[in-house]
Amino acid sequence: MAIEILFFGSLTDATTVARLIVDGVEDTDQLRTYLMERYPALRSARYFVAVNQRMIQQTESLRPGDVVALMPPFSGG
Amino acid sequence: MKERKVKNIFMEGPIPAQKIAEDIQKHATQTNIGAHSIFLGQVRADVKEAGTVTAIAYTAYTEMALEKMYEIRESLFAKYPLTCMHVYHSLGTVSAGEICLFVFVSSQHRKAAIDACEELVEAIKFQLPIWGKEILNNQSTVWKENK
Repeated sequence: MAIEILFFGSLTDATTVARLIVDGVEDTDQLRTYLMERYPALRSARYFVAVNQRMIQQTESLRPGDVVALMPPFSGG
Repeated sequence: MKERKVKNIFMEGPIPAQKIAEDIQKHATQTNIGAHSIFLGQVRADVKEAGTVTAIAYTAYTEMALEKMYEIRESLFAKYPLTCMHVYHSLGTVSAGEICLFVFVSSQHRKAAIDACEELVEAIKFQLPIWGKEILNNQSTVWKENK
């Protein structure tokens, strides 16, 4: 089950990529654990998570085709 | 049913002063307007320990930012008696001294335009997924933080 992951702002310094396809994660918690293992620098990073452009506060289950965005605090303007 | 129209707010590079003048001129035909409130964000050459800021490179989660901007726009139109609202934000590199944000709110009377404009600028800064990376004069970079 392929999930698309997007990284923004300072997080791309930790991941070196802006986009990633991940298979076999069932919820946002599993995804978080997977990403922190793959990119240890994410452990100390502060970020919000959005699933299909909607900000989430708690763990949510993921379905194929979902787009998960990891976003550091905003700094527009 | 009202059409759900998500407007683009992003422009590549700095916002030219000419555009601001032209946009004011465009409103001359709307004679029910009595007040325009305009906010312009300019890139500041902050002096930091690591160097002086020469430019900011902006990136965004554009799809989400435009959806969020649509919600902000709707809520402000519901809250204030506004005639129109225009927002432009730069993407890519904007040098110190150049304009990166142009917010233009119009109403019949001044209070609504001024209050909505202020609220809108705060919402843009804290609710839109946009990120600025400051480029310093020694070519190093620092991720910007909004205060």
